[in-house]
Amino acid sequence: MKAKRRVTTSKDVRPGGIQRGPTPRRKQGSVAAVGAIAPTRTAQPTASRVDAIAAPDRPARTVEVDLSVDLGRGLVLPNPILVASGTFGYGIEYGDVVDVDRLGAICCKGTTLRPRIGNITPRVTETPGGMLNSIGLQNPGVDAVIEKYTHTWVGWKTPVIVNVAGESVADYVEVVRRLEGVPGVAGIELNISCPNVGRGGLQFAIDAAAAGEVTAAVRRVTDLPLLVKLSPNVADVRPIARAIADAGADALTAINTLSGIAVAPSRTKPLLGNIYGGLSGPSIKPVALRIVYEVSQIVDIPVVAIGGVTELADVLDFLAVGAVAVQVGTAIFADPTLPVRLVDELAETCRSRGLSTYADLIGTALPRKPGAPSSKGVEYRP
Amino acid sequence: MRLVRTELVDSREILPDQWLQSFLAPELATGARAGQFVHARTGDLSGLVLRRPFSINTADQATGVITIHFRTIGRGTEWFTHLRTGDAVDMLGPLGRPFEVDPRSRHLLLIAGGLGMAGVRSLADEAIRDGRQVTVLFGAASARDVYPSSLLPDEVEYVIATDDGSVGHHGFVTELVPDYEAWADQAFACGPAPMLAALARQAAGRRERLGVAKLGRKRGAGKPDALGSTAARRKAFLQVSMEQNMGCAVGACLGCVIMGTNGAPQRVCREGPVFAADEVAWESGW
Repeated sequence: MKAKRRVTTSKDVRPGGIQRGPTPRRKQGSVAAVGAIAPTRTAQPTASRVDAIAAPDRPARTVEVDLSVDLGRGLVLPNPILVASGTFGYGIEYGDVVDVDRLGAICCKGTTLRPRIGNITPRVTETPGGMLNSIGLQNPGVDAVIEKYTHTWVGWKTPVIVNVAGESVADYVEVVRRLEGVPGVAGIELNISCPNVGRGGLQFAIDAAAAGEVTAAVRRVTDLPLLVKLSPNVADVRPIARAIADAGADALTAINTLSGIAVAPSRTKPLLGNIYGGLSGPSIKPVALRIVYEVSQIVDIPVVAIGGVTELADVLDFLAVGAVAVQVGTAIFADPTLPVRLVDELAETCRSRGLSTYADLIGTALPRKPGAPSSKGVEYRP
Repeated sequence: MRLVRTELVDSREILPDQWLQSFLAPELATGARAGQFVHARTGDLSGLVLRRPFSINTADQATGVITIHFRTIGRGTEWFTHLRTGDAVDMLGPLGRPFEVDPRSRHLLLIAGGLGMAGVRSLADEAIRDGRQVTVLFGAASARDVYPSSLLPDEVEYVIATDDGSVGHHGFVTELVPDYEAWADQAFACGPAPMLAALARQAAGRRERLGVAKLGRKRGAGKPDALGSTAARRKAFLQVSMEQNMGCAVGACLGCVIMGTNGAPQRVCREGPVFAADEVAWESGW
């Protein structure tokens, strides 16, 4: 088991000047000291930290916030901001625009056993507050992914979680078997919920028995940390989540895209080549919140939330309903620097609230655990 | 590729619903080559989640100004038309691979259909700067949509075709191409997909038809350049700038693909937007 990483944040020191007014916000895109790993941790009582905020004329102040998160089986992320599968390629596409070493983790593009050419175009379109995509799991196949990208991933501080898709249990098992032990692969995210492929994919996510079966089968062949991605395209996600957790998954990811369609401007056919696409973006956030809220109450494994994160408030919302980490997806297209900025802003928020760890922000909006049954008269329990 | 904060310096509606906007962006103006594009973020936060790709219409290194030319087709482009001088726009660029002109090409044929002018416009500047002769063939629906010749460099020959015959040749721009086929050393096109497919068909048999000497190695048959390589593109007679619905514009999301003749989807944002005509599987239905 890897040692937990401590993430240190230090305030900008203003040489010679007196800091007035509210704390200045970090400039967009600036690479601050947040990602640095501190060898030691200054123990500071909460009270004095609050004092420090109240006394703006102190020249320098170092408050460390622990943003690390343990997703199980030794997968400890330096911070809880991940980039979602399919929106960040294999981590190299954005080049110098994004500092990948500051991300919590990278979920790479969905990977299958054999190469897939994906769906017919058009594949993406914008919708109100979101977008539809029907890429259809285009990818070069697991062997090519291992050959082309893993040697790059080895050099990164940020863990890379390989998103795995398949058409049958045997497919999933074989892909994971090939990824097992490959340097640079930090974990597996099972995509059992892709709505854009004809066969396979979604069928595992809409049936508790099938979801449990594929999770258990993969669990048997790997010691890699295993995340399983839930689909929102079901009536009740809870039995499925429970089955996956019981089958040995280390964490759940919620949610994949919602199935939808768009109509071509000519009004003579659906817009997307595949007809159906997956809806993502801010418009699905309430659905994602609901599912994270439901799931995090009934499973004991960590839940990684995804769905419409575009700003810090969204991150805090997902944490409040029980997620331990958050994936950023569609918003990266508009603002590639957003995930790194969210890391800074989350640390900043913890600091301003006098928290030494963001763990205190998790689950604050969940109902309290039911206590002993009331003895006062008869209660209606549905 | 850089994320750049640009500033609007000029905005004009040059044709009905078509706008020409200039942005101060020295980082983009100096680094960009003809055929590349920028991915611009709208400031409209009420539900627009994607950036908008625009061809770099012109790039002036001396002033650090780039221009984009677009038609208002939705809320995103509409937002750009409301910008005022001095407003900031966040752009990612320059993106994609540029047009590749063979150093030996003296005569360049640029073929633009409608808004496709935005795709080839900056190549005219580049070619004239390099001392080449340029003919621009332009096709539009009618006279009201014809790109003003005043916005083109004086050195180019400008030939117009309109569908309704209201100005210039009565018919498609592709019908003008045979007249210039022998004159041109290379052709570069941007426009609607059917136009580009027609041009590709025309170009396919050109060498045999005209008896043109093969450009390339003088002696022996060296290893042919790999399909899609810069060297192969440089030798191609026809290069086209393609369009596709786009997500990330850096090659991550695989949204903007077209089918290649090698059987693999090609990303317009990364392998393109410029392709040699023989790289694109025109009949694939993608």
